[in-house]
Amino acid sequence: MKRIYAVGLNLLFLFLFITFSYGEQVEIRILHINDFHGFVEPYKPLGSDELLGGISYLATKVNELRKEKPTLLLSAGDMIQGNNWANLFLTESVIEWMNEMRFDAMVLGNHEFDFGREVLKKRISEARFSILGANVEGLIGIKPFEIKELKGIKVGIIGVVTEDVPLATHPRNVSDLRFISPMKIVEKYIKELKNKVDIMVVLSHIGYPADRVLAEKVEGIDVIVGGHSHTKMTKPVSLGKTLIVQAWEHAKALGVLDLFIKDGKIIGFEGRLEEIKPEEGKEDRASLAILNKYKEKVDAVLNEKIGEAEVDLDGENVRKRETNLGNFIADIMRRTSGADITLINGGAIRTSIKKGEVRVKHIYTVLPFDNTIVAIKLTGRQIRKALEHGVSVVEGEEGRFPQISGLTFAYSPSKKRGSRIKEISVSGHPIDHDKEYVVATNDFLAAGGDGYKVFGEAIQSSRDLSAIGGMMRGEKVVYNDSDRGLRDIVVEYIRGEKKIAPKVEGRIIEIH
Amino acid sequence: MRVYVNQESVDVLPGMTVRHALIAAGFFKEIETLKKVYDEWGNELGLNGALSEGMKIKIRSTKSQISNSK
Repeated sequence: MKRIYAVGLNLLFLFLFITFSYGEQVEIRILHINDFHGFVEPYKPLGSDELLGGISYLATKVNELRKEKPTLLLSAGDMIQGNNWANLFLTESVIEWMNEMRFDAMVLGNHEFDFGREVLKKRISEARFSILGANVEGLIGIKPFEIKELKGIKVGIIGVVTEDVPLATHPRNVSDLRFISPMKIVEKYIKELKNKVDIMVVLSHIGYPADRVLAEKVEGIDVIVGGHSHTKMTKPVSLGKTLIVQAWEHAKALGVLDLFIKDGKIIGFEGRLEEIKPEEGKEDRASLAILNKYKEKVDAVLNEKIGEAEVDLDGENVRKRETNLGNFIADIMRRTSGADITLINGGAIRTSIKKGEVRVKHIYTVLPFDNTIVAIKLTGRQIRKALEHGVSVVEGEEGRFPQISGLTFAYSPSKKRGSRIKEISVSGHPIDHDKEYVVATNDFLAAGGDGYKVFGEAIQSSRDLSAIGGMMRGEKVVYNDSDRGLRDIVVEYIRGEKKIAPKVEGRIIEIH
Repeated sequence: MRVYVNQESVDVLPGMTVRHALIAAGFFKEIETLKKVYDEWGNELGLNGALSEGMKIKIRSTKSQISNSK
């Protein structure tokens, strides 16, 4: 009997010896999403005829793939901002779903800062997974890296976010925070971790072009799981010894990366994107329950009464004349940004509100686009040019017709295009063509939307853009709060005022 | 920040997205007619994707034909 035990023990030692001497091939899987932005339900993207996305279908796919091999589930940031399902609950809904999904780690994206420091701290405290931000200094609760062990393989995950966060969010959201170069910080943590882990993953929210630079310049990164640029990478890209993957946006795809590892080194890989589409009977019940729970609350929030309109608010005629609703919105934009003037396109305002109760949903219907406020310095001459453009096709009732605040002008639609504007006054004084005025507008016009070129000309000449006091400013760009939606600013204003009764005041006069 | 849409340069603010670059280049309506946006390496981009200095993006029809028309 003793002999049999001895032989058995010898065989066991032999097996262990072979295993450790020659190494066993191990397969692990990384599932990843990025730039989810709260898109919980399938939708038809512009340029597409099919429904894509949906967290209940994504969850089913994740659960199926998890059963096949040891798996990490990662998010490369920007899980919030962009959809009522996330925004109206300050992203609590997203964290609840991520907890249910048993995410292993996520990196902060730039939009994770949009609701302010206190909200972010609360969300971090609620998360049952690691929230990473190695290059963010001053934020309590985040980690620079995480080490996960799968089937004996130690995976180091370093998280980095774009250092441009202060250029794209409000100063209050990043005050006292410092964003360090991702490259320097990744180098630092690779040195610290290289003897402690087998596989080095960078969970990145710096965009694909920057991921490529990171892969080319920093040694020791096995995999970059990226986000920020919303890049649909159907296959992993191999740059040197580094693999780069990214899974598009809005949970329309799930990234799948299988790594074949031997002796602590990657000896092979397979990667793909699984498109997420609605399939009957394939909904994950737990995710669907969370989706529906907050969807019902969305309806309640949108139904909230925020004030009362003492007059009808005219959003029907914004493409052909001054209206009281156009004045109201333009005034709020001027006040919020501290500008001299507001000039927006009538097409930004989509409908009217009847006299009586004003609810959140009314404002969201009037302003359905995700517009934000930008304020740019324009000369009086440029303002005239913008107004000429604005009234150039008034007979066609196009969206470019201006709604304004802080100035008045008269125009003659019977004159030829480019010569229709007559007198212009700013705060009661004739406009000075050589003087610069601060003009608030929306990001759509600032980018040249509806054919407005003057804002782009000003941006082009403003080469000194930098973060001043945390906000992106420059010689010509005075205000740019890209994380605060115009409609939410209007909602807050009405909530504060309770009763509103804007008037048509003769800001735009049609003459013949 | 300067980016390129079908080789045309446009200037946009930091924080603006692929959508803004298309608007600036006068291409936004193209997207509604079953066209998609790609980066210089041929990867499709979401319209809310972040831009970076010098980035080159292209609009192609879903049949992968490069569009030169505005």
